[in-house]
Amino acid sequence: MSEPLVLVQGLHKSYRLGKVDLHVLRGVSFGLARGSFSAVVGASGSGKSTLLHLIGLLDKPDKGRIVFAGQDVTALPPRRRNGIRCRDVGFVFQFYHLLGELNVLENVLLPAKVDSSAFAWARKRRQARRRALEILDRLGLGERLKHRPRELSGGERQRVAIARALMNRPEVLLADEPTGNLDSAAGSGIMELLKQCNRRDGQTILMVTHDVSLADQTDRIFRLRDGRLSEA
Amino acid sequence: MYKIFLCLRYLRSRVIAYFAILAVALCVAMMLIVVSVMNGFLSKVERAAKGLFGDIVIESSSTEGVGLYDEFIAQLGRNSPEVEAASPFILVPCYLRIPGSNWSQIVQAAGIRLPERAAVTDFEKGLFVQAGQTSPTFDPPIAQALQRLEGQIKFIEELRRKPPRPTNPEDRSPDLVQRLDNALLAHLSARVILTRAKEAQPAIAEAYARLQAAYAESHDEPTDKTEAIQARLDELTGQAGWLDPSRHIILGLGIRGLSFRTDEGKTIRFICPGNRVSISLIPLGSGLTAAPSLNSRTFTIVDDCQTDVSSIDSEIVYVPFETLQELNEMHAAYSPDKSGEVVAPARCNQIHIKVRGERTDERRLEAVRANVEKYWRDFCAAHPEAMGGDASVLTWRQRQAAIVGPIEKQRTLTVIMFSIISMVSVVLIFVIFYMIVFQKTKDIGVLKAVGAGDFGVAQIFLAYGAAIGLVGSILGTVGGYYFVRYINPIQDAVDRWFAFRVWDREFFMFEKIPNEVDALPALLIVAGAIIAGLVGALIPALRAARMQPVEALRYE
Repeated sequence: MSEPLVLVQGLHKSYRLGKVDLHVLRGVSFGLARGSFSAVVGASGSGKSTLLHLIGLLDKPDKGRIVFAGQDVTALPPRRRNGIRCRDVGFVFQFYHLLGELNVLENVLLPAKVDSSAFAWARKRRQARRRALEILDRLGLGERLKHRPRELSGGERQRVAIARALMNRPEVLLADEPTGNLDSAAGSGIMELLKQCNRRDGQTILMVTHDVSLADQTDRIFRLRDGRLSEA
Repeated sequence: MYKIFLCLRYLRSRVIAYFAILAVALCVAMMLIVVSVMNGFLSKVERAAKGLFGDIVIESSSTEGVGLYDEFIAQLGRNSPEVEAASPFILVPCYLRIPGSNWSQIVQAAGIRLPERAAVTDFEKGLFVQAGQTSPTFDPPIAQALQRLEGQIKFIEELRRKPPRPTNPEDRSPDLVQRLDNALLAHLSARVILTRAKEAQPAIAEAYARLQAAYAESHDEPTDKTEAIQARLDELTGQAGWLDPSRHIILGLGIRGLSFRTDEGKTIRFICPGNRVSISLIPLGSGLTAAPSLNSRTFTIVDDCQTDVSSIDSEIVYVPFETLQELNEMHAAYSPDKSGEVVAPARCNQIHIKVRGERTDERRLEAVRANVEKYWRDFCAAHPEAMGGDASVLTWRQRQAAIVGPIEKQRTLTVIMFSIISMVSVVLIFVIFYMIVFQKTKDIGVLKAVGAGDFGVAQIFLAYGAAIGLVGSILGTVGGYYFVRYINPIQDAVDRWFAFRVWDREFFMFEKIPNEVDALPALLIVAGAIIAGLVGALIPALRAARMQPVEALRYE
């Protein structure tokens, strides 16, 4: 069996809530194969999003390690962690988190701009724009380039968020309740899109959801309960 | 790349940023106005002091003055290449009167040599009849005086005909009309005198030529013929009313009661070239060994002078140096015997010195002053009769230290005060940015999620602050520049509409508020505004940088 793209070993994470320590993750271990589509399910507050944030290097674990493409990324210096977040991880959030001042195209181009200095951007601007247009076309947003997020429906916004996440061709796409804020039709559309990305492009996806019916459409399902992860 | 992009986008789309820009612009304009006016005030004091004293002044500590000044000036010219020119000067209080009227005033009579003085100071720049002339004299052409007079008559007549403005019915008050009538009368009578003098000029010239020829015939010995011609010449000059140049006077344009200023800022004279005044003084130059008696003389006004320094223009009248020397009894004393030997040299109160070069820095001026002082001490040691052993040699700044020092302190204090007030803009930017960072918490989370570093996020807000400082300071500089440029018309308008005058020319010494903006202070203020923007944005930017992405994304 080939080496997993993401390997999580003995991950612990706790938060302090007032005077109480909340132990969210208690030794979580699992691996994600390259090109897989996995889901983590669990009740609200079970630590699904925390796990996603730790894997996406948005947060640091108290204990345990995360190996990304064979490299232990747990204790990397901030600059290297930023680089991995920018190039190797794509995030899709439940509430889209698009920048209101930017239009659709600008939101999608944002990761490419973060990845470039002013000089480098002058060089690769055209190429990045072509890539963004290509993704947006594929996601059915070719006509909405100049629209601001507030002018889009929920489903469209989430598609823009997916396009942004895919912009820098990440190794892994981390989706945090991507349909949680959408009606069932829009939710299904987004789910189809993610499946398409996985099947057509071989995009590795880890999705957290509390909706078992969505999780059922993925290759592997992990259940998070009482801070421990088990494969369903 | 994203930093510049987001900074510009936030700048354009956040309306609240405009308030920060406005605050910075107002502070920059305020600082620029204050600094420009204060600096302008100081440079006017400098120009005025140099205009009166030159760069360096040798000043006698006694009323009797210093002697052998011409010899010293000649020696200084030979030995000191850094000295461009020097001229003796007498200043003595006197009683100024208009013959045949009740008007009188105590003023200072300044004895100057023309055109020599124009090489030492900017005296010629403020003259009325001899405007634009580089070599003014105490005997300007009558035609020139007449031409100026005609211009003034025309102007006063126009003012009399002008209807009152609807905004100010008091514009043509009976008092103003009366004053204009009086001024016109004075000008018309002066025109009569000048015309008569002009007509008499050929006869005077002819008599003068005959006198010269008669003296040549008699080998400079007075004869009946020369005396007859001299008597005729005196009669002619007396009739003409344009006395000999030694009895010509130039008045300061600002002596109370001799002129007034219209709402339009124009000066109208009640007394003008061609009219006569008399001065009387106690001859302080005699040393007052005996009971003093008044020395008086009548003069014909030939010109007037405006230095733009109210304290000079309102107090000083200029008369030929040798005439005042005689009136103040500072002239040479001769042996009573027939040898005609000089027993006491002619004296002056001060010697004014111009240093070579347009702009002279303080250090160089001090070095030249030290040299001049050494020459003066050596000269006095070699010529005890110069009587200048205890005279002081000062630069213009040292001479005016009592005025310049407090103004400089006041400027520093004012700049500090206004800098503190300008901190308001820093606080305002801080508050606005703190609010923006709060509003943008989720954006910060997103930026970090897509790979932006802490420093990169901080840079967005710092660049945002600097941009607010830059835009605000550009607007403030433009606004402040035009305000300073038109500060005098603005003050006149405020005065007209609200009867409120900020700049009292009696108190501030100058006629007009300084209205020049120097580039260096303006650049420093702009730099200060940008730094203020950065400082205001610093804490919010650091807060944004330190924000944990997970917390930022969860922020509600």
